[in-house]
Amino acid sequence: MSEISCPVSKTIAELDAMIASNRIKTPKSRRIAEEIRVLMEDVAWGRAGKDHLSAMAKLSQELVKESDTPSCATMGNMIGAALTDHSESFQSHVNTHNCPTGECVNLAPAPCQMACPAGIDIPTYVTLIGMGRYDEAIEVIRKDNPFPWVCGLVCTRPCEFMCVRARIDTPVSIKFLKAYAAEQAMSEGQYRNPPQAPPNGKKVCIVGAGPAGMTAAYYLALKGYGVRVIEQLPMAGGMLMVGIPRYRLPREVIDREVDMIRELGVEFEFNTRFGWRVHINQLRKEGFEAFLFTIGAHKCSPMRVPGENDFAEVFTAVSFLREVALGDREKPGDKVLIIGGGNVAIDSARTCIRLGCKEVVLAYRRTRAEMPADEEEIEQAEEEGVQMNFLTIPVEIVGEEYSMTKMHCVRAELVAREGSTRMSPVPIFGSDFYIEIDAIIVAVGQRIDHTIMSDLPDLDWTRRNTINVNRATMETSLEGVFAAGDDVLGPATVIEAIAGGKKAASAIDRYLHGLPQRQLPPVPVRRSRTEFLKVPASTKMSLKRPEMPLLNYNRRRVTFQQVELGYEENAVREEARRCLRCDICRRCGDCVAVCRDRMGIDALHLGYLDFDHPVKSDFRNVAEKCIACGACAENCKNNAMQIHDEGDERILSLCGIVLNRQKLVFCESCGAVLGPAKYLDYIDKRISQQTTAQNTNRYLCLNCSRKQTAQQHDEQVVPLF
Amino acid sequence: MLHRGDRVEIFRKSDDESWQNYMDEFVGAHGIITDPDTSINDSDALVEVSLVDKGTHRLPQDCIRKLED
Repeated sequence: MSEISCPVSKTIAELDAMIASNRIKTPKSRRIAEEIRVLMEDVAWGRAGKDHLSAMAKLSQELVKESDTPSCATMGNMIGAALTDHSESFQSHVNTHNCPTGECVNLAPAPCQMACPAGIDIPTYVTLIGMGRYDEAIEVIRKDNPFPWVCGLVCTRPCEFMCVRARIDTPVSIKFLKAYAAEQAMSEGQYRNPPQAPPNGKKVCIVGAGPAGMTAAYYLALKGYGVRVIEQLPMAGGMLMVGIPRYRLPREVIDREVDMIRELGVEFEFNTRFGWRVHINQLRKEGFEAFLFTIGAHKCSPMRVPGENDFAEVFTAVSFLREVALGDREKPGDKVLIIGGGNVAIDSARTCIRLGCKEVVLAYRRTRAEMPADEEEIEQAEEEGVQMNFLTIPVEIVGEEYSMTKMHCVRAELVAREGSTRMSPVPIFGSDFYIEIDAIIVAVGQRIDHTIMSDLPDLDWTRRNTINVNRATMETSLEGVFAAGDDVLGPATVIEAIAGGKKAASAIDRYLHGLPQRQLPPVPVRRSRTEFLKVPASTKMSLKRPEMPLLNYNRRRVTFQQVELGYEENAVREEARRCLRCDICRRCGDCVAVCRDRMGIDALHLGYLDFDHPVKSDFRNVAEKCIACGACAENCKNNAMQIHDEGDERILSLCGIVLNRQKLVFCESCGAVLGPAKYLDYIDKRISQQTTAQNTNRYLCLNCSRKQTAQQHDEQVVPLF
Repeated sequence: MLHRGDRVEIFRKSDDESWQNYMDEFVGAHGIITDPDTSINDSDALVEVSLVDKGTHRLPQDCIRKLED
């Protein structure tokens, strides 16, 4: 029982144990306990209405009053306490049909939502986008992430990796749908902040205006806190602004979303480095009661080769990208060598192309297959003219009279090291060669600038030189001091930074209200249960993920214009229709099993239901064998599979996908619905009893059939006289 | 070396300091690598993995093994 973390499931288990133990003696107390059990089950199955919780609270009080034994009173109190202490979770079960822990299986969030570090309710907003309700989609996203537009352009989209649709063909283009909705809502003035709580008189200071810090500022400001953000740079955005090139993320996108946070009264102090002009003691005196550090990882790791510190033409990727982002358009040289194989290396190389460098070479010590950069980014870099030198190890930077001239390199081969499955690059003896260059950009990793934190000498650090925090609450080793983002995880993703900021905001809120901190990281919360988009099976299968239109090749090489041009509205609406609505269909497979094993039909071949061994799925094939009996719908616990009659047809659908449509047969005598012909044939074969009158071969319902048989019998009876 | 999209299993608890108690329940879970170390292929880096029904987490690599296709 201790392993159950859902308060609803836990209360049911305790209630069951109590009822089974016979410790409730009087019939009245037993009845009350059983009534509570029924209502609690409704909550767990998503069947509860708005009065369920108050009814259970009332019944639990009655149980205490009626207590015939001490354990009876204990149970009443236990239920009352569960309803009060976990009201948020109970409400979530009732209002949004969501069990955040996933223990009430049919109410668990979809895999895409679970995969999103920020826990955004993806099926809901994708469906809203499919309906053209972009402002509502943005409202749903911003409950968990205040940067839908930014993430629509640069998110690493873990959601798409877990997208169940990928088991059929390709994942739903969740990221680009989000970008479209945000752009549309912003353009139409429909991108609004939710209502803000009145000021609570408490102040929080955030150091660093990157995605983690800004996210925390947003959620804290919404809760009524006075928030001040201290930022070393002259503008907000952090790595979004100075680490991601403008051709991937235009500045206006960041500015517009930051403006929405500023509208909530968040105060910014730019060009201010924490620990230099501003100190923690001074801020405490100003009334700040909690601090969040989101300083990022803005320092570049060194290459550790001779000559690295001897020439002005050796740049670190972080500082190079920062200077360009801040407006410097001077090219580092004509022939530039980038060292590294990650996304930052690719960003640096593509930026060099745009600055007019004549030759941009990227040197990486392993092969293309090992490159950690995103495949699309590598492809786009190559299209733009970046040359790749694989299996190349830098040895020394060579120069004359304070000016570098070439890079001494050596070829490498990949060798399996003992005890490791990883192939390591090993220099090939005598394979030395030189690359003539006039600038080098080093992109071999990033780390945190510790000096910023010198004001907090007692702060605990990890062996990776990141701030040591409780990952469930983002609390550091110091009272009232929290941390999130790259300074905790190392160089990670934007969406992880946002998730960390949200977690920290929640923990700061608890800290300042004296509430106990959570022991586990928060789990995603479903925000609504939106109706299905109705799509025929053939359309569901034939719709293809749209290609992202790109800026033409020549313009990409000479400007910083956004490369990905975005989808057209029609493509967006169609793409949203590919979503399988895994928030409703839990992929339990009960429908498949009942159709195959109990009905013997085997019409449902939904191979995508299995994560580990998905096999071919085609919704169009269902109609071949399906008799529209409705056994699958009857056994679907979450109402994902539905069957209904519409006009003269019976329609079977799975989360809005129309799997089968069959003409209904009506009783020829009274007009009552008999079912589709295939179903009637199945019944005929399955049981020898027939719904049709054999001798006339007419379709009759049971009543009319009986009447006809009786009439025939009367006619056949020989009169007595 | 882990790549984006690799299907993996959390086959044991990690000895790394970044492993927290709540992660014990991840052992046995299957998932997909969503963000490996995107800088330098460092075997010591924490990698982002989406676990079936357990969310997305950044974990040390010593507890992760690739699943065969």
